[in-house]
Amino acid sequence: MTEILRVEGLTTRFFTDEGQINAVEDVDFRIHEGEIFGIVGESGSGKSVTALSLVDIVEKPGQIVSGRIWLRNPHLADSIRSDNPDAVDGEMVDLRSINPRLRRALRGSAFSMIFQDPMSSFNPSITVGEQIAEAVEVQRRAKANPRSTASRTQGFGLGQFAMATVLPSKRFVTPAGRDRAIELLELVGIPDPAQRAEEYPHQFSGGMLQRAMIAQALASEPDILLADEPTTALDVTIQAQVLELLEEIRDRTNMTILLITHNLGVIARTCDRVGVMYAGEMVERGTLTDIFRDSVHPYTQGLIGSIPQLDQVKGRLQPIPGNVPSLRAAELGDRCYFADRCPKAMKRCLEKPPMFDVDGSEKHRAKCYLAEQPYDEGDALPEDYFDG
Amino acid sequence: MATKTATSDVIPWDKIDMLLRHRTGRVLLAAITALLVYVVLSGTGIGPEETSTRIILSMVVGCLLWAHLVYGAWLVKRELQGLFVIWGVVTVVFFLRFLTPGDPTIALTPPDASTDVREQLARRLGLDEPLYVQYADYIWNLVTLDMGRSLRTQVPVMDLILIRLPATIELAVAATLVAMVIAIPLGVISARRRHKPADYSATLFSLVGISTPNFWLGIMLILYVAVTVDFLPTGGRSIGFAAAWGGLLMEGDFDGISRWFAQLILPAITLGTFFTALLTRLTRSGMLEEIGKAYFKACQAKGLPETIILYKHVLRNTLIPIITVLGLQLGTLIGGAVITEFVFAWPGLGRFLINSIHSRDWMVIQGIIIIIGIGFVVINIAVDAAYAYLDPRVELR
Amino acid sequence: MISARLRRSLKREFRQSRMAQVGALILVVIFITTAFAPFFAPHDPTEQRIGTGTTEDMSYLPPPVFSTTENVTVFEDGERVTREVTTQGNWSFVLGTDRHGRDILSRILYGGRVSLSVGLVGAALAALIGVPWGLAAGFAGGRVDDTLMRWADVMLAFPSLVLAIALVGIFRGTPFHTRAIGDPFVWAANSDFVPNILIPRAGHVAEMPESMTFPVTVTIVVALVNTVWFARVARGEAISVREEDYIKAARSMGTGKLTILRKHVLPNSMTPIIVLATIQVAAIILLESALSYLGFSGISLSWGQDIQRGQSDLRRGWWMATMPGLAIVAAVVAVNLVGDWLRDALDPSIEGEGGV
Ligand SMILES: Nc1ncnc2c1ncn2[C@@H]1O[C@H](COP(=O)(O)OP(=O)(O)OP(=O)(O)O)[C@@H](O)[C@H]1O
Ligand code: SF4
Ligand SMILES: [Mg+2]
Repeated sequence: MTEILRVEGLTTRFFTDEGQINAVEDVDFRIHEGEIFGIVGESGSGKSVTALSLVDIVEKPGQIVSGRIWLRNPHLADSIRSDNPDAVDGEMVDLRSINPRLRRALRGSAFSMIFQDPMSSFNPSITVGEQIAEAVEVQRRAKANPRSTASRTQGFGLGQFAMATVLPSKRFVTPAGRDRAIELLELVGIPDPAQRAEEYPHQFSGGMLQRAMIAQALASEPDILLADEPTTALDVTIQAQVLELLEEIRDRTNMTILLITHNLGVIARTCDRVGVMYAGEMVERGTLTDIFRDSVHPYTQGLIGSIPQLDQVKGRLQPIPGNVPSLRAAELGDRCYFADRCPKAMKRCLEKPPMFDVDGSEKHRAKCYLAEQPYDEGDALPEDYFDG
Repeated sequence: MATKTATSDVIPWDKIDMLLRHRTGRVLLAAITALLVYVVLSGTGIGPEETSTRIILSMVVGCLLWAHLVYGAWLVKRELQGLFVIWGVVTVVFFLRFLTPGDPTIALTPPDASTDVREQLARRLGLDEPLYVQYADYIWNLVTLDMGRSLRTQVPVMDLILIRLPATIELAVAATLVAMVIAIPLGVISARRRHKPADYSATLFSLVGISTPNFWLGIMLILYVAVTVDFLPTGGRSIGFAAAWGGLLMEGDFDGISRWFAQLILPAITLGTFFTALLTRLTRSGMLEEIGKAYFKACQAKGLPETIILYKHVLRNTLIPIITVLGLQLGTLIGGAVITEFVFAWPGLGRFLINSIHSRDWMVIQGIIIIIGIGFVVINIAVDAAYAYLDPRVELR
Repeated sequence: MISARLRRSLKREFRQSRMAQVGALILVVIFITTAFAPFFAPHDPTEQRIGTGTTEDMSYLPPPVFSTTENVTVFEDGERVTREVTTQGNWSFVLGTDRHGRDILSRILYGGRVSLSVGLVGAALAALIGVPWGLAAGFAGGRVDDTLMRWADVMLAFPSLVLAIALVGIFRGTPFHTRAIGDPFVWAANSDFVPNILIPRAGHVAEMPESMTFPVTVTIVVALVNTVWFARVARGEAISVREEDYIKAARSMGTGKLTILRKHVLPNSMTPIIVLATIQVAAIILLESALSYLGFSGISLSWGQDIQRGQSDLRRGWWMATMPGLAIVAAVVAVNLVGDWLRDALDPSIEGEGGV
């Protein structure tokens, strides 16, 4: 299986008035073509910020501090190999090292995103069809005129906008785009798509709108689909349907999907490989079996222990006593961030654990000393160590 | 039956229906009607004498027709509500005269008024009749569009008002345009460059703008701008809208239009500054709020050009709540127009109102207040309609 | 009335916002200098200096550093002679003098007394009428609400300036149109009861005008036309509070409506009302200045009146109309800044946004 995405040392921080927040800290993972990679973790563990960092839409005061995001894109690799050899590795291109305009032009075509709450992720005052058609249009224009996409206005500045308000033929969205939007709505199983395309988001039900959102994400024919908790806001029965739809898309088009959730049930039924995030770090990653049967990180074990049945889609995680730490750099300290909640914390854990290969396989890795040594009760931290 | 068939043969109802369903068709129909009204008015010589008043009247008829075609039952309901408000305004005005200290025929007539004039007012107000008769007479007169005669000049109040109305409307529209043209881009820039020098200057401008009394601003403009730029007059309105544009279009006369433009600039800035400042502020904060919403991220993730995100998505949604606020600030616009007209000797309703109060011409005062109340109600309905047009979640019922 | 949490948020916002600090500073300066105007005003604001035989007539005296030139026609040896006279400003009249040689700075301080007191009294009066109105409407709901709020609509249909002009125009003749209010400081400086040692610059203060004229009708009218804003806000608050569980509980236990209004609804509505009142002070100062500019306030010593006189002397000198206007702008900017600060601190829903 070919690797399509390789993230190395991704670190994203928010520099707020109240201090620095390390939302994503030194995250590594790889995704292969056609697989569904899951990221799981409690609320506030940095899953969404990871996704936003990939698309490069982290808003101020947030900033991607370091890291490399290697994306397989042979065409782009060839075109910039001579100018910027550092940014190219075989067929992979490092999105962090290329020109920001080029990177922005890849929005939509490299990654497209499905958000948690479809109701607020569609503009309430523009028809659903039009919004999907916009996504189609962005890619169509990029293909038709590759050079304009690298300009600041992406070929559509204020002048064009003013003209479009007067001349319907100059509008951003063309009839062809609208037709494609209707096709896409049909593809994701929305009945009567031509009419639905003319309707506004508030006229859709939540499940229907999430389907429309998936259609919008597919519109740009992305290399990787980022689904950030696509089912959290939906009813249980609808959740299953949406997941089925995602799987169906993957099976039919060999689409690569990064699925973010805090529901291990969802992970268990859809994903091929999994990364577990805690306090901005990816603390363990591996195949589904690695994580569900052979996990070494006590946090992962806690997560799994907390769900009664693996294939039950329902139920949020309320696994381990205690709370996710605040990600303020000042309060984090330099230890295993999980130590205060870890039932197996040892003295050694007051020093930050590096990433270990588990059982010598670099496919299964964990940020925990238990990957290289068994739990040593003699060395355990006193229970009330963090209370004071 | 036979006649019905005949008419449906002659008039293609289904075609008309289709026409009326179509956006352009409705506009076309309204425009044709307005033109017809104008031709009839000028052909037969009924109605107002001034050309500009005629044009305005026929445009009003056209707009009304169009609005009813588009908004139907909702508009009728709002009109009834508006009538209620106007009735309230009228009633308040009726009772105002009882608040006057002493003999109303003295308090409400010019200081130099003759006994004749005072008797005329007494008769008009029906002072010796019982209250309900006075009230009924008063309402009846208004319903028949009879506002009486000015106590000073004996000219019908309706005529006096209609002559001055275009100047006021011209000023108010110009000020609104100035405000929109300046404030919306300024607000957008300010929100985009948050916490940058451009943002701070825009914020400072809007703060000072909403804190400056507009009569003083007008005086300052006269003092520091009009005297240095000879192109700009210090006041007055030497040429009307219709004459200026008519001259340009019919005779290619640039002199009239440039005079018209020059005389309008300073008053429009004076009246528009407050709204520019307010609108800048509202646009900025509204944009920031919208940018925080999830759909903004979704637009970015799609890879949409920034122009489209900012202007098609964010700005449009920002304007929706702003429209309501501006509707509420309409009173400020009208009040501001009154005082701007006074400063620039602009021959509109506002200056007329002040002069009439100074000369205690009650019939005129009453007429102007009622007209302003009606204008307010009409614009508010228009604001609500615009709101519903922009926000699909609002249904007009 | 204001909880500890709110007080903390007020403090935090104040520390963070430079604008709030500037606004508060200007406001404090204006408050002190106008409230204690007799101490700070360099001259008697009503004292005329024409034909006093001093160096110049001292009318149209520009601010220091500036000078004006005008043609003066005089009789000399029975003949008319036109001469060019240049007048140089001097530091005794920091902002210059007007056509009667009255000191503009002193007039601004005294005019500020009128504007600020009309603003404060007017806003308080408007709140006193509007808040019970809105609370009653919102809390009662149904028919009462409809009736009261319809009247609010009607009142909104009058642009406040137009309504104010009309009302003031009608009330002008009444005896209570203006009222003279004695100046306690001047009284104290002149009286034998208070030892003059207690009063700084007693001699100076004693020379100041003994009373100031307060525009009563204008105050009532600006309060009346602004009542409706308070009613709207109070009603909104009452409606949202009405649906709270604890109010429902109190109602079901048979607590009287008035008690609920006073004990629960009013305190909860306090924050937005305070913010609104601050903004209204700014609006009322502007409205008052417009009314007195138009000559409806019935008093001659006010910012608006001075601007109007300055306008008629526009050809003679720029400073007469400019200076009082700057005072208005400073005062209103300051009040608005303080209003923004309160809004940002007290209303977390709009925190940080739109604020200046
Ligand atoms: N705009 C922002 N400004 C400051 N901090 C932010 C911002 N966005 C996110 N963060 C911080 O980043 C951390 C990670 O947030 P993120 O949204 O990625 O969590 P998540 O894992 O997606 O949680 P959830 O399951 O609730 O979506 C949080 O602690 C949050 O405080
Ligand atoms: S490193 Fe130590 S504290 Fe951290 S998870 Fe592993 S055992 Fe627990
Ligand atoms: Mg999230």
